[in-house]
Amino acid sequence: MSTQQSESRFASVRSGVQRFGGFLAGMVMPNIGAFIAWGLITALFIPDGWWPNEHLAQLVDPMIAYLLPLLIGYTGGHLVYDKRGGVVGAIATIGVIVSADIPMFLGAMVVGPLAAYLMKQFDRVAQPRTPSGFEMLVNNFSAGILGGVMAGLGLYAIGPIVTTVAGWLGSGVQFLIDMSLLPLVSLIVEPAKILFLNNAINHGVLGPLGVARVAEQGKAIEFLVETSPGPGLGILLACMLFGPKLSRATAPGAIVIHFLGGIHEIYFPYILAQPKLLLAVIGGGMSGVTTFMLLDAGLVATPAPGSIIALMAVTPRGDHIAVLAGVVVGTVFSFLIASALLGFGRAERKAEREAAASAKAKDS
Amino acid sequence: MATIEGSAVKKVVVACDAGMGSSVLLTTQLKKTLAPYDVTVEHSPVDRVPDDADLVLCHSGLVARARTRVPDTVVIGFQMFLGDPVFTKVEAAIRDGGTLGD
Repeated sequence: MSTQQSESRFASVRSGVQRFGGFLAGMVMPNIGAFIAWGLITALFIPDGWWPNEHLAQLVDPMIAYLLPLLIGYTGGHLVYDKRGGVVGAIATIGVIVSADIPMFLGAMVVGPLAAYLMKQFDRVAQPRTPSGFEMLVNNFSAGILGGVMAGLGLYAIGPIVTTVAGWLGSGVQFLIDMSLLPLVSLIVEPAKILFLNNAINHGVLGPLGVARVAEQGKAIEFLVETSPGPGLGILLACMLFGPKLSRATAPGAIVIHFLGGIHEIYFPYILAQPKLLLAVIGGGMSGVTTFMLLDAGLVATPAPGSIIALMAVTPRGDHIAVLAGVVVGTVFSFLIASALLGFGRAERKAEREAAASAKAKDS
Repeated sequence: MATIEGSAVKKVVVACDAGMGSSVLLTTQLKKTLAPYDVTVEHSPVDRVPDDADLVLCHSGLVARARTRVPDTVVIGFQMFLGDPVFTKVEAAIRDGGTLGD
């Protein structure tokens, strides 16, 4: 009974965390096209890019400072209260943008939905009391005034607070890198991915941190932690060779979808079915991140989806070998650990022999 | 516990966390298998499943969220994205008739 209770509590906590994470990711993911446009323009046209071009490089700063946070603020507002929420969310976002000299992704993720929520509450009170014929006047001016107030609030209060918090988070990651502890992050990231928190972690947490580092240093290792397809590929390869019969049949298709298509979800069920394989993805994740760290690998934008093609496309010039090395190391470690955990197929062959034997026994 | 007759299913929604990755993949596959039976298949984020869905399919790790979103709709969870028996079961119920429940 008590285990049942704690299990259901775990399930409800999990779905709560998933929902919050899904909300964070939902603000970012529809805008990934814009991130990729920015990442490609950056990789191509900045002074040490593939094809330096001062004129086109002018696009880089306004896109990351204004376009991307505004899109996130708009989308966050839209999630809460449709287009009207999106508009006040975007107005509010400009406040936090102007307040800071770092790209205000976290700020946009806070004020966008907050402004939309306040708009929704205001409308709930005001709309039934609006005399007919005045709806448009009231709607437009309430959105304008609330948005303006929120922009001011963002500039004076929310922006500075978020800047401080983002600074803490950024220096936390920097501390982990300096102390060579970044691989430990895989201890949290890999199990959380399997619980379908992959988008939340990548787009909700690591992505915004990475963008801030790119603005400073031109590339960020944060983008590689969750998105490297290496650990998942190792699992699928091990399942293809040594897994239970059903996994052996489906793993090859899953490998293509995972590694080239970038849909990591496809490998989660193989681990959910055999939780001991978690050790393999954690090992693959840690060894991969260690390699990225030692070789000073980084990407210029979130590779989304986490396909090897996307990774290569947003790798800055000169870093391709380092990024590939980390992916390969992650794959190899994860594959070796998973294969060992699967007993190199011994247990499976034994089970099949026994099944065959008992079937024969039944026949005779 | 909601149930629905296979023949009454006109709109299947496949849901995943973001509604952009694995659900799109499955939608493409299901569209092909369900094309002959006049059933539309759509994908969606699990927290934004449309109200007019007759049947929701999502990974078993997301079923709880789908149920909170549409408590009166049949939500069926699957384990594997490729080759899960749930997909054949759904197809069979839609083709031959039969009750689907969650």
